[in-house]
Amino acid sequence: MNQLNNPTAQAVDNVLIYIFGFSLILLLGITVVTVYFVVKYRRSKYPEPTSQVHGSWLLETIWTVLPILIVLTMFWYGWTNYVGLREIPEGALEVKATARMWSWQFEYPDGRKESKLYVPVNQPIKVLLFSTDVLHSFFVPAFRIKRDTVPGMESYVWFQAPEPGSYDIFCAEYCGVGHADMTTSVEVLSEADYAQWLQPLEPSATPRGLVVLDEQGCLSCHSLDGTDGIGPSLFEMAGQPRQVTINRESKELIIDEEYLKLAIRDPEAEMVDGYNPMMPPYDEATINNEDLQAVVNYLMGKAEAAKTPSAGAQLMDENGCLGCHSTDGSDGIAPSFKGIGQREVTIERDGKEITVKIDVEYLRRALLKPNADLVKGYSPIMPSADYLSPEEIDAMIQHLLQQ
Amino acid sequence: MTKIALKNTGFYSESPRSGILGWLLSTDHKRIGIMYLFCIVTMFLVAVCLGLALRLELIAPGPTIMGPQTYNATFTVHGIIMIFLVIIPSIPAAFGNLVLPIQIGARDVSFPKLNLLSWYCYIIGAVLAVIAIFSGGGAPDTGWTFYVPFSTQTTTNVNMAVTGALMLGFSSMLTGINFVTTIHRLRAEGMGWGRLPIFIWTLYSTAWIQVLATPMLGITLILIVLERVFGAGLFDAARGGDPILYQHLFWIYSHPAVYIMILPGMGVISEIIPTFSRKPLFGYWAMAISSLAIAFAGSLVWAHHMYASGMSDFAILIFSFLTFIVAIPSAIKIFNWVSTLYKGSIQLAPPMLHALAFIFNFAIGGLGGLALGAAASDIHLHDTTFVVGHFHYTMFGGTGFAFFAALHYWLPKFTGRMYSHKPAVIAWALLFVGFNVTYMAMQAVGIQGMPRRYYDYLPEFQTLNVVATVGSWVLAVGLIMMFVNLWNGIRKGTPVGKNPWGSATLEWSIPSPPPLENFGEKDPVVTKGPYDYKGVIADEY
Ligand code: HEM
Ligand SMILES: [Cu+2]
Ligand SMILES: [Cu+2]
Repeated sequence: MNQLNNPTAQAVDNVLIYIFGFSLILLLGITVVTVYFVVKYRRSKYPEPTSQVHGSWLLETIWTVLPILIVLTMFWYGWTNYVGLREIPEGALEVKATARMWSWQFEYPDGRKESKLYVPVNQPIKVLLFSTDVLHSFFVPAFRIKRDTVPGMESYVWFQAPEPGSYDIFCAEYCGVGHADMTTSVEVLSEADYAQWLQPLEPSATPRGLVVLDEQGCLSCHSLDGTDGIGPSLFEMAGQPRQVTINRESKELIIDEEYLKLAIRDPEAEMVDGYNPMMPPYDEATINNEDLQAVVNYLMGKAEAAKTPSAGAQLMDENGCLGCHSTDGSDGIAPSFKGIGQREVTIERDGKEITVKIDVEYLRRALLKPNADLVKGYSPIMPSADYLSPEEIDAMIQHLLQQ
Repeated sequence: MTKIALKNTGFYSESPRSGILGWLLSTDHKRIGIMYLFCIVTMFLVAVCLGLALRLELIAPGPTIMGPQTYNATFTVHGIIMIFLVIIPSIPAAFGNLVLPIQIGARDVSFPKLNLLSWYCYIIGAVLAVIAIFSGGGAPDTGWTFYVPFSTQTTTNVNMAVTGALMLGFSSMLTGINFVTTIHRLRAEGMGWGRLPIFIWTLYSTAWIQVLATPMLGITLILIVLERVFGAGLFDAARGGDPILYQHLFWIYSHPAVYIMILPGMGVISEIIPTFSRKPLFGYWAMAISSLAIAFAGSLVWAHHMYASGMSDFAILIFSFLTFIVAIPSAIKIFNWVSTLYKGSIQLAPPMLHALAFIFNFAIGGLGGLALGAAASDIHLHDTTFVVGHFHYTMFGGTGFAFFAALHYWLPKFTGRMYSHKPAVIAWALLFVGFNVTYMAMQAVGIQGMPRRYYDYLPEFQTLNVVATVGSWVLAVGLIMMFVNLWNGIRKGTPVGKNPWGSATLEWSIPSPPPLENFGEKDPVVTKGPYDYKGVIADEY
């Protein structure tokens, strides 16, 4: 409960306060009278009742008619303010929101896709709601708006934010295992920030494959860091064996490009053992062949390096990494970043000590699950950076590799 | 406490068959009632444990004692058991069977064999529901509402669970038919409609809903199975079907079902308040008519569960209006109960304490319903833990407490023994406090915006979730204490006479426990109203 001064929240809150106010008075009235009667007419004081009244036409009429009048005002107030939630002011920016198990995708009129809803301050926003699979519900408590996304049907909500900030979006209609994690946010930007955000992105600092993975919501079921999820993790896939079921037969194969492409275009053709067949197929209309190749390149570890790693330096600064890690080779609480891209390290994995070469995959895991592989000689105290977006993580990794 | 033997063991020792078959094949309404009571309390305890597990999971963000899939299965099974196996049959099937024929002066229900058949439908349904948890693709994870398209896609054992619910529906319908007929045909001489205890009026209203609305549930559940097994496509948008159609079908039964759950509870309270005030129920006819009004108007408000579903705004206007109308008869009942206390002679025995707690809890649940009935405010509150708090206030704080009141009121009649009062009062206090702490906190965190059916939540919701979980522990202690005390009372409590509370309805004029055919040789003749306490004296115990 924050952001009271936006139009949709005000419409809802006024009704809530009106109804809760009346309810509180009624509840107090009933409770006080009951307690008073129970104490006053207790049997120890009145062994026999002092009245045998059966009812009272007058009283009963009053307490039938009065509540009718009260609830009718509640009904009408609730209805008129609801109408305000449906009537969109002029000049609204339209954004298309698509819900799928278990993430949100926002598409702007110019075709740009995001996993968070970036909007300018003080402009009405109309969010068109769609679902690709089951029911979900678009819920932003700060604006008191909620509406189900229904497959095969379009609906909408609108809101307007008077102040920049970040506001939670939840999925409010139950949709399976990922329901509670289907959260993202409305990022309300000041006019200047929004104008900047509108600029076309620099020729992708992020590998295209990762962008697609993020946009399509793959990462809500598959992790990049080796954590098991609803689907198998995408960590270090190239050349790994997989136990899969093809035509009801279970067999082992080695992950290669062909395997990955089929797994995306037709997931049920090759089911990895131990997982449920719930991944939707992604056809050419959803991921075109070029993007598919980019995804496969990325997963096979062949992604081209990012061109602007400088963002990574800034992120490391902002997130306090340098409090423990040095950049000049001096040893501190944690290993130094100097030359980290050329080093080998000895780590403890699954109780065994092994020595590995530091690469993109290693660093990603080190950032997201810092204490899974522990560098020899250090204690498990590093917090995970999993609150950063995959793009941000990637920028940091590219920066680290160049140290 | 030393155990004193009962002088009279009533229907427990009179049966055409002996041993366990004397129960399993019995058509005596009292034996069937006791069997329902036993099964319902067992299922209640199972589902309470699941509820406590849900609350424990929610004590902190992130997976605490279980992951998302287990949590989803747990709230689904908790919901299915509580709704279909506990609350719907709780008062009508258990206490309705025990009390209804005696209160109208009959020797049994109209169709005793049908009555036994409905018990078997209940058992089959219960067994199927339990098998569904442990077999097939795993415990169902759809929520008790089985919303499509999720329920037609999930690989868990939905088919079996749905079949179980279907059997339970049959059980409920058969009981309804039996009760309507019994009330029309088997009233004793002198038992005019104006002399029916209000408990009978509420069972009568409930029975009509059971007969008229439950077939809708059957059809809806069968359609889910057709959809899953044969891909019928009725609810599949890609093939011209409509997922929202399912929600209408589901709620056309399930909203009236909430009145199946609450009306008999209101009936119990209407018996207990006059007895422990020694005064006629205030506004008898208003109470009787409002029960019928609730049953009728309650059938017209189903789509108030669907304001955010994508349904048309015109439908929202209509259903919001009707929802506010159905609030009126419930309000009238509350005012009449409170007025009954006026100038009475009030005794705070355990049944009365539970009845007073019912009024308080049900008032909170009903008033919360107003905020959910208004279109604008429901948009924010819908599908948050506010709703979870709200329906626990009505179903647990309401019907649940009425069930506890009924246990404390009628068990001495049907077992012949009185439980001890002091532990009963302490248990009541724990239940009342624990209940309100748990669900008030859930309502509050819902207003803040926490969606329901979440095993994980943002840190800002933690404080209230911890409060709710701690409250559930107090509640649990209260439940243990209450059931242990009642159990001790059943086994070795002090024997009671015919009428330990000084009640005026017919069941208190025959021995405790009652004999096989209730009334001995001569049929009873009724000469006074159900709340006429003049000359009625409570037996010492
Ligand atoms: C000690 C007693 C109980 C506790 C601790 C408890 C707790 C809970 C919790 C935590 C939830 C899940 C909320 C969520 O994740 O959104 C829930 C759901 C539910 N409870 Fe209870 N509950 C109890 C008793 C009852 C009773 C007596 C009923 C009677 C009707 C009941 C009916 C339900 C239903 C229908 C659901 C919804 C399931 C669904 O969403 O499909 N509960 N309960
Ligand atoms: Cu969801
Ligand atoms: Cu309803």
